[in-house]
Amino acid sequence: MKLDFIHDIQRAYRKVVDSMSRPGLITNLKDEAAKVDLEAGCFPSTLVLAAMLLDTEVTFKVVSEKEEETTRWINQLTYAKADAAERADFVFVLYDKAEDELGQILRRVKTGSLIDPHDSATIIVEADAVTDGCDFKLTGSGIEEANYVNVSVNGNWMEVRQQQNAEFPMGVDLIFVDKNHHLLCLPRTTQILSEGRKL
Amino acid sequence: MQIHYNFAFFDEGSKREIRRATLKAIAIPGYQVPFASREMPIARGWGTGGLQLTLSLIGKDDVLKVIDQGSDESVNAVNIKKLVMKTAGIKTTEETQEATIIQSRHRIPEIPLTEGQILVLQVPLPEPLRDYEPSEYNTKRLHAEKEYSGAWLMLFEQIMKYGHMASDFDHPVMVENRYVMAPSPIPRFDNPKMHYSKALILLGAGREKKIYAVPPYTKVVSLAFDDYPFEVESFEDKHCRLCGATGVYLDELFNEETGETYYQCNDTSYCLSRLNEQSESRGVQHG
Repeated sequence: MKLDFIHDIQRAYRKVVDSMSRPGLITNLKDEAAKVDLEAGCFPSTLVLAAMLLDTEVTFKVVSEKEEETTRWINQLTYAKADAAERADFVFVLYDKAEDELGQILRRVKTGSLIDPHDSATIIVEADAVTDGCDFKLTGSGIEEANYVNVSVNGNWMEVRQQQNAEFPMGVDLIFVDKNHHLLCLPRTTQILSEGRKL
Repeated sequence: MQIHYNFAFFDEGSKREIRRATLKAIAIPGYQVPFASREMPIARGWGTGGLQLTLSLIGKDDVLKVIDQGSDESVNAVNIKKLVMKTAGIKTTEETQEATIIQSRHRIPEIPLTEGQILVLQVPLPEPLRDYEPSEYNTKRLHAEKEYSGAWLMLFEQIMKYGHMASDFDHPVMVENRYVMAPSPIPRFDNPKMHYSKALILLGAGREKKIYAVPPYTKVVSLAFDDYPFEVESFEDKHCRLCGATGVYLDELFNEETGETYYQCNDTSYCLSRLNEQSESRGVQHG
């Protein structure tokens, strides 16, 4: 693979740091993703994130029709072990997921405890498109007043996310990537307002 | 013997672990995320937490500034800078505006930080409740339950004893109305700079194996009472003897021979840039 596991991953990491600390800021992993020449059944930017975050110390779960194939690739790339959604540290919800699969999986993943809120899952979601827009109004830590984005993922995932994040600091953090390698983070501190409804 | 170190000293596995902890810390502002603090070529307690954060963040395009109690040229700052330079080959600077990553011990620079910058603070004691609760398990439970009466009581006792809050540095803050956090031993003067900071602030405690963060535009309020409000150090009627600056954090110096007390900017690069500006404008006038 042409991907430089030191410098490309570092550059991608800084973009994730930017997007995580400023929810609503959409960054782009195009340069790094272009160097991924592995057909693993997921977006190349998803593989960049896997290479950045996974190793033998953490577990992961892939939610996809091609779960077995992608799991094998991620395992070979990072040596991380697959586990059930309830125990996995990282959950990859891929592009070919069923309509409401994200909502269903969000109900099952770990949200940490009040004593150890960091022991929660990070969900990496492949979306149709992640763009600036006005569908979702984001507020909370990291946002000056409000940020506005569009995230093309169907289902009731926002309601489930709100339920899972109700007892802060417990909760889940979401990272969205799309086909064009755009990256958006929704940490548990971010409040989403959609069409006047607070989610 | 020529030793070839990894880029930014660490192996990639170490960076990954620190990066995972950092992302969690950003997602839970003020919460101390445990991490597997590595052995470093400097002793624990000398900025290893900050250094590990810096090394996990830094890339070839970064410009690094390291300060130690306001100074770019103290032994600690110079050694940390040299280590990062030698292992990552990056550019360093003394100009706050030029830097993309600023690692600091005990100060936040006078020049306001901007959106593209990351401030890394070195933390000796990350647990603000440690003074009255020695057990880590218990302090974690107190944080979990948001049970901070002990922190308030500590301040109350200071008022009873001294007539005012006596925490000159490391004055505890409340982050996003949830976590009481140690802002690292910065003077009270710098506490308000954390509130709604434009830059991301990461705090690393190497000896205590904790990473925590204050994302940009995050509410950070210094603990205080209605009748005893939080006050920063006052330098009213005082100015820097070198550059004449007012409204900045000043060091008090005492000349034993003359018995004279005078003040000087604590942030040396700020003072130096003002002196340079002044001499340039004088040059223009004379020219």
